[in-house]
Amino acid sequence: MTKILGKTGLESWLHNIMQERALVAPKHVGDLILFDPVQSVDEVVFDYENTNLSPKEFFFPRTDTLFTTKSQDNDVELIPTIIDQETVIFGIRPCDARGIAMLDGPYLDDPADSLWAQHRNKTTMIGLSCTKPAPQCFCTSVGSAPNDSSSVDIMLTEVDDGYAVEAVTEKGERLLQGVELKESDVTLSAPSCDTSVPAEGIVETVKKVFDSPYWSRLADRCIHCNVCAYVCPTCYCFDIRDRTDKGKIERIRTWESCQSKGFTRIAGGHDPRADKGSRLRQRFCHKLLYFPQQFGPLSCVGCGRCVVSCPVNIDIREIISDLQELGAKVG
Amino acid sequence: MGEDFTQQIRDKAKELLENGAVECVIGYETGSDGVSARPAFIYDAAEVDRLAFDNTCTHNLVKYLLDKKGKSTAVVVKGCDSRALNLLLSERQIQRDKVYVIGVVCPGVVEWGWNKRSEQLQKRCNWCRQHTPVVSDFAVGEPITEEPPAEFADVAEMATKTAEDRATFWRDQAERCIRCYACRQACPGCYCIDCFVELLDPEWVGIRIAPDENWMWNTIRAYHLGGRCISCNECERVCPVNIPLSLLNRKLEQEVLDLFDYKAGMSEDAPAPLITFKKDENLGIAE
Amino acid sequence: MSEDNSPLVIGFLCNWCSYAGADMAGTSRQAYPPNIRIMRVPCSGRVDPLLIVKCFEEGADAVLVAGCHPGDCHYTEGNYHGRRRFALLRDLLDFMGIEKERFRIEWISASEGKRFAKVVSEFTDEMTKLGPRKVG
Repeated sequence: MTKILGKTGLESWLHNIMQERALVAPKHVGDLILFDPVQSVDEVVFDYENTNLSPKEFFFPRTDTLFTTKSQDNDVELIPTIIDQETVIFGIRPCDARGIAMLDGPYLDDPADSLWAQHRNKTTMIGLSCTKPAPQCFCTSVGSAPNDSSSVDIMLTEVDDGYAVEAVTEKGERLLQGVELKESDVTLSAPSCDTSVPAEGIVETVKKVFDSPYWSRLADRCIHCNVCAYVCPTCYCFDIRDRTDKGKIERIRTWESCQSKGFTRIAGGHDPRADKGSRLRQRFCHKLLYFPQQFGPLSCVGCGRCVVSCPVNIDIREIISDLQELGAKVG
Repeated sequence: MGEDFTQQIRDKAKELLENGAVECVIGYETGSDGVSARPAFIYDAAEVDRLAFDNTCTHNLVKYLLDKKGKSTAVVVKGCDSRALNLLLSERQIQRDKVYVIGVVCPGVVEWGWNKRSEQLQKRCNWCRQHTPVVSDFAVGEPITEEPPAEFADVAEMATKTAEDRATFWRDQAERCIRCYACRQACPGCYCIDCFVELLDPEWVGIRIAPDENWMWNTIRAYHLGGRCISCNECERVCPVNIPLSLLNRKLEQEVLDLFDYKAGMSEDAPAPLITFKKDENLGIAE
Repeated sequence: MSEDNSPLVIGFLCNWCSYAGADMAGTSRQAYPPNIRIMRVPCSGRVDPLLIVKCFEEGADAVLVAGCHPGDCHYTEGNYHGRRRFALLRDLLDFMGIEKERFRIEWISASEGKRFAKVVSEFTDEMTKLGPRKVG
C-alpha cells in the first residue's frame, strides 16, 4: 500500500512546517531556480528539473563563521558558532541528497566538523523524486536512481492525485506526525536516467592514465574558473581566514576550489599544482579516484550541473568515456 | 555560411599545421551535446576536420593566446574577439609575429546553452558595430562596412532609476554572486598574475562570499576594464548566476567614448585612456 | 555613518599641497567639521581607485580627494592621471547608486588653508543634507 498526500494537503503541511522551522525550497530568483528560504507556499516551485546551484550551501554555506572571539581582562575567549535554527529542505532531488550524505564521509570522520554535524542534525530533507530527468542527468550511471530514497528523510513521488509519501528516517516520521495520508494501491513508476556513462571500474582506470598527456590537452580548453566546483553538490573544499572588523575578530570559512590558481600555493610561493593540467586532473582524480579510495562511492552524483554550467564544455561524462577508452589502450 | 566557413577554416588550419607555420590552431568544434560549439585545440593536421564554425561559436579564443606565449599559434577570431588582439598587442602581452589570425566576418552568435539551440542573437550582437575583424591574416567571409552610431539604451534606462534603486539593484546582484571568477577567467583583458581580489597584503577584498565583498569585486573588476573592455561580453555569458555585467562594462564604454573619445581594441598603437592624459581637458571634476 | 548620525567623510590629501593646506587651515584657526578623516598620500595620482571603492564598501558616506592644481604636481603629472581615473570612477559609482556628489575631487594648494576649510565645510553640509547612504 502506498500512502498519498493530496496537493492541498501538501501545501498546508508545508505551511505548518514554516510556522516553527525555516523552510527552504526551490524558488525563482531572477531567472534562476535556487534553493532559498521561502516565506509562503506560493513561492515554492514544484515543477523544475534541477536547481542552478546545489543545496549543499545549507550544510556547507558559501561563508561560515567558525568562531568569534571575546576578550576580557587580558583573556581571550573563543565562542563557537551554535546553530539553533531547525530547517526543512523541501524538494531536494535524490542526487543532491546523496551528495550531502556522501560528504558525511569527510566531514563527520573523526574529528567531526562541528558545523557540518550541527547542520545535519538540525535539517530535515524532504526529497522529491524526478519524474522526468533532464538531458544532462546521469545519476543511474553513478550508482543512484531518480527515485533513490536512501539519503533523504522523507521521499515524495508525484502521482496523479498528489504525492506518494515514504518516511525514510525517524526524523522524517516525526515531521509527518499528524499529517493525514490516504491509502492507495497506485504503483509508482520508476523513471530511467542516462545509464550510458561508463563509470564502472573508473577507479582502476584513473590510476592507469594518471600520467597521460590527456590532462594537459583537456586543460588547454579549461579556463579555470570555479564554476564546476561551486555548482557541484559534492565539492567541499574551503579556505579559512581570520577577519577583523571594528574590534570584532572571527574565523571564517568560505568555498574554494582546486581549480583556482592560488589554492595549493604554500609559504615561499611554491605551488605543487602550478600548471593547468595538474589542476584539472586533481578535480577528476579527487572525484573518481581519491574519494572512492577513502570513502567508497565516486564523488559524483550525476546531477549534471557542471555539464550545463561549464563555460567551455568540460563534460565529466565525456571525460569518463575518454578515460575508459584510454585505459583500455594502456591495458 | 556555416559549411563554407568551416571548410575555409579547416583548409587554412591544415595548411598552417602541415607547413609548420604554427604549432597549434585554436578554433571551435562541436561540443558534447552535439549542438553548441566549444573551443578546440588542433595540433595535428590530421585532426583539422574537428574544426567547425557556426553561430554558436561564442567563446573569445584570444584569451587562450595568453597560455601560448612564445609559441606560434593560429587563432580563429570574430569581429569582437579581434579587438582583444589589439588590446593584448598594445599591452605587450602577445607578439604579433607569433600569432596567425584567421578572421571570420561574424554572422552574429546566438544565446549559448548546453544542449539548447537558440535562434535568439546575443545582446552583444545587437550592439556590435564590428562584425569584421580589425586584425586578420586570413579573412573568412566578405568584410562589411558599418559605422552606425553606438547605442546605449540599456545604460540610459538604468540611469533613469533613482540612486537608491540603482544601489539596491547592484546590491541584489552582489548577493547572488558566488565569486567563482568565471567572469575574470573568460576575459581576455584579465591576465594579472596576482589579481587584486586574491592579494593577501593588502587584502583589498575579504574572502567572504557576501554582499559587501562581492560588490567590491564586481565594481573593481568592471573598473579595471574601463577603456580596455572590447565588448565581447563573455563575462556575462559565463556567469552561472546571470549577473548583467554588460551593464557595467557598457556604462564605462560609454563614458570612455564621451570623455576620451576612445574605443578599446580598435588599433594596436592608440594608448589606452587611463595610461595617458591631456593637460587641458575638462572632465567635469574640480572645475 | 558615524555614531552620531553625521556623515563620515574620508579625505585623501596630497602631501605636497592639500595636506599642507589642511595644516594651514589649522594654524590659521580656520574651523572645519570634524567629520573628515584625513589620509596623507604622496600624490593624488597615488590614490588607487581601490582605496576609494574600499572606503565606500566599508561604509563611508563620502570621499574627498584633494591634490595639486593641474600643472603644479610635485611629480609633474600625477594629478593629470588621477583626474582621468577619478572622472571615470565617479561615473561608474554613480551608475551603481553612489551619487556623484559623494565623491569629490578638489585642487587645493598649500597656501589655500581657508579654501580647504571652506571645501570641507561645504562638502560636509551637502552630505548632511543628502543623508546617509541608504543601501550598502
